[in-house]
Amino acid sequence: MSNSENKSSEFPTVLASSIHDIKNSLATVRELIIQIAAKQQSSKNHDFMQLEFEANRMNNSLIQLLELYKIDSDKFNLEIDEYSTCEILQEVTAQQTPLLQLNNITLSIDCPEDDYCYCDYDHICNALGSILNNAQRYTHTKIHLSAYQENDYFVFSMEDDGNGYPENLLSINNMDTLSVNQISGSTGLGLHFVATIAALHTSKALKGFIKIDNDSTLGGARFRLFLP
Amino acid sequence: MKLTLSSKTILIIDDYPVMRKSMKDMLYGLGAQYIFEAENGLAALAAMKKQKFDFILCDYNLGDGKNGQQVLEEVRYKKLISHHSVFIIVSAHQSAIDVLCTIENKPDEYLAKPFNAQQLLRRLEKSFIRKHHFSAIEKAIDNNNFASAIYLCDNAINANNKSTYSTLLKLRAELAIITGDYEKAGIIYNATLAKRDLNWARLGLGIIAYHQDDFKQATQLFQELIEQNPMLMECYDWLTKSYEALDKTLDAENTLNRAVNISPQSLIRQKKLANLAEKTGHIDLAETTYKAITDLGKFSMHQSPSDFSGLAKIYSKKNKNQEALQTIDSMRQQFINNQESELRAATIETMVYQDIGEKKLSELAFQKVNALKNTLKNKTPKDLQLDIAKAYYLNDDNKTADQIIASLIKNHIEDNSFINDIRQMQNDIGQNNYSEVLIQQTKQQLIDINNQGVTLFQQGQLKEAFLLFEQAIEKMPNNKTILLNMAKITIHDLKLSGITEANLLLANRYINRAKQAGVAKEKLGNLQLEFEKLINTPPPLV
Repeated sequence: MSNSENKSSEFPTVLASSIHDIKNSLATVRELIIQIAAKQQSSKNHDFMQLEFEANRMNNSLIQLLELYKIDSDKFNLEIDEYSTCEILQEVTAQQTPLLQLNNITLSIDCPEDDYCYCDYDHICNALGSILNNAQRYTHTKIHLSAYQENDYFVFSMEDDGNGYPENLLSINNMDTLSVNQISGSTGLGLHFVATIAALHTSKALKGFIKIDNDSTLGGARFRLFLP
Repeated sequence: MKLTLSSKTILIIDDYPVMRKSMKDMLYGLGAQYIFEAENGLAALAAMKKQKFDFILCDYNLGDGKNGQQVLEEVRYKKLISHHSVFIIVSAHQSAIDVLCTIENKPDEYLAKPFNAQQLLRRLEKSFIRKHHFSAIEKAIDNNNFASAIYLCDNAINANNKSTYSTLLKLRAELAIITGDYEKAGIIYNATLAKRDLNWARLGLGIIAYHQDDFKQATQLFQELIEQNPMLMECYDWLTKSYEALDKTLDAENTLNRAVNISPQSLIRQKKLANLAEKTGHIDLAETTYKAITDLGKFSMHQSPSDFSGLAKIYSKKNKNQEALQTIDSMRQQFINNQESELRAATIETMVYQDIGEKKLSELAFQKVNALKNTLKNKTPKDLQLDIAKAYYLNDDNKTADQIIASLIKNHIEDNSFINDIRQMQNDIGQNNYSEVLIQQTKQQLIDINNQGVTLFQQGQLKEAFLLFEQAIEKMPNNKTILLNMAKITIHDLKLSGITEANLLLANRYINRAKQAGVAKEKLGNLQLEFEKLINTPPPLV
């Protein structure tokens, strides 16, 4: 490390490597949970599933933090190519299937068979996955996923029948510049993360962004991701 | 196209029994019936030697021994899996996955832990379908059947399946580059870029510029790309090559050093960096890099005795003679009953013992060099031959040394960087005059022969041109330009005088010899394509 760098700029690196460490431990914890559950022939046991769910949530948050660190320190690339929007939604659903079953949530998908959008597949799937993960905590019984084209953008939309986003989140007009102060709780971090990933998707003058409101056709919250 | 797991063979490679068990349960739950396990790389390789698996799920981290990437390298190199097999690397570290990729050895899929059964199934399905579309093309490429690969690729593109379209286009452009059809490749890349700014298309344009010897343009394209995508490892390799072509060794070294800092796992890249650091005289960088190489290579099939001798030579240069001798010992332990290793050890011992005034030991080592020097025959690596020559000079046998140098110059006259190594060595021991005269002579000779041959060829005197090059080959058996010209003449002859068994064999022989001598794929590709078109009637419709 060069001398010109001051102490404060070292902190993110320290933080990142600690997160790495925690993530590794968490992986071991997860494996043990699976093992113990298998031994007790109780893999369908609600407690074990809850335990696994919480471990996954922690893991997701840690991944998001690491990704944000990488974006900040120029160690980040998007691998943009053309992908089927349906396939993205299916992948996102697959990620969250056990949990959806656990919570008895009905999930529906609506997307045209032959729609393709430009994006980084893994990052967009992870980002949408974290939003879906959150949605199922706040919805009551249903979540509806859809993908469609709107003007120059591809839109991924997620609607639920819960109580909707709280006022403090809705009041943020520009999600893209969601400041760190406005992040509170995992919903805030999740949104900040997705907004950051979205903004990295650019095409000519257009830039990806997210929008949240309570105009869900199911009566709850609506999240939309716009990609150029 | 539906994947039925019940009929597929699956190999799980993981050092952790818990993980193997949980993965097995997942797969059984998905309907799989034939599941096999291996707890480390060696066991996995043994299993794959016995039978071909449809799916291989290999954890990156396998404890002591080979890691997942090293298993994959060896599996591909030894062709232990068929073109239909799917190799998936599983890792708990997304960041490891980000930087693992090297150009040659990407698995079919990466899978980040943790994952559930549904995610696993989707990954298996996706790669299975991909294989269904691509295995025939990949097989043709592997067998150097470029005409059929292009044919199959074009057919698949015309089938207009949107889910594979972009990957097929990318592959088609790569095939165009291999066969020297830069125009076609350029059209594909530019058409892609007109729709969207995609990295692979931009990289492709740089690669075309490189192959067309427009290194300035190539450098600029690669630089821009890296600036916007600092994790695009492949681009660092191309930028390094471009700088080297421009003789900008320092820039090449800097570029590769950046790449190695981001992704230290690639042994091939590290070796290249050590090489550059030797050339720039950055002896400390060379030392740390060689140390990393000997550590990294421990379980890799890419490890070679030269990794150790390289480190030993650096130590000797830094007057760390004890470390140099210790490194030689480690080499002997790592490579048992290996002639190259013995020869390298003896050569370096000759020099190191002489340096520290151990005359007797140096003489003993030199006797060994003398006894062993022909055991590898024409497979003796060129850098080792150069070291051997040095040992002869140091022992005042200038005649033998000169002979070795003469043969090295003749066979590697087009390899500027190695010719510079020869100059450097001769300089070190104060013998530069001998090689310099020979280098200039050989260069002129090659130019003369080539000019003569090409003129004869253009005048339609194929036989005469052939004889001229044939004579030249006796003197310079591994000269790339001459071998490439021979291949061109024999193929042209096939076209003119029709196919007979004799001229078919001849053409085949020179294509292969050129390949063995290390003529770049891209220079041979269009000849191979021509050759194939001549011997094959159009490939059957699929």
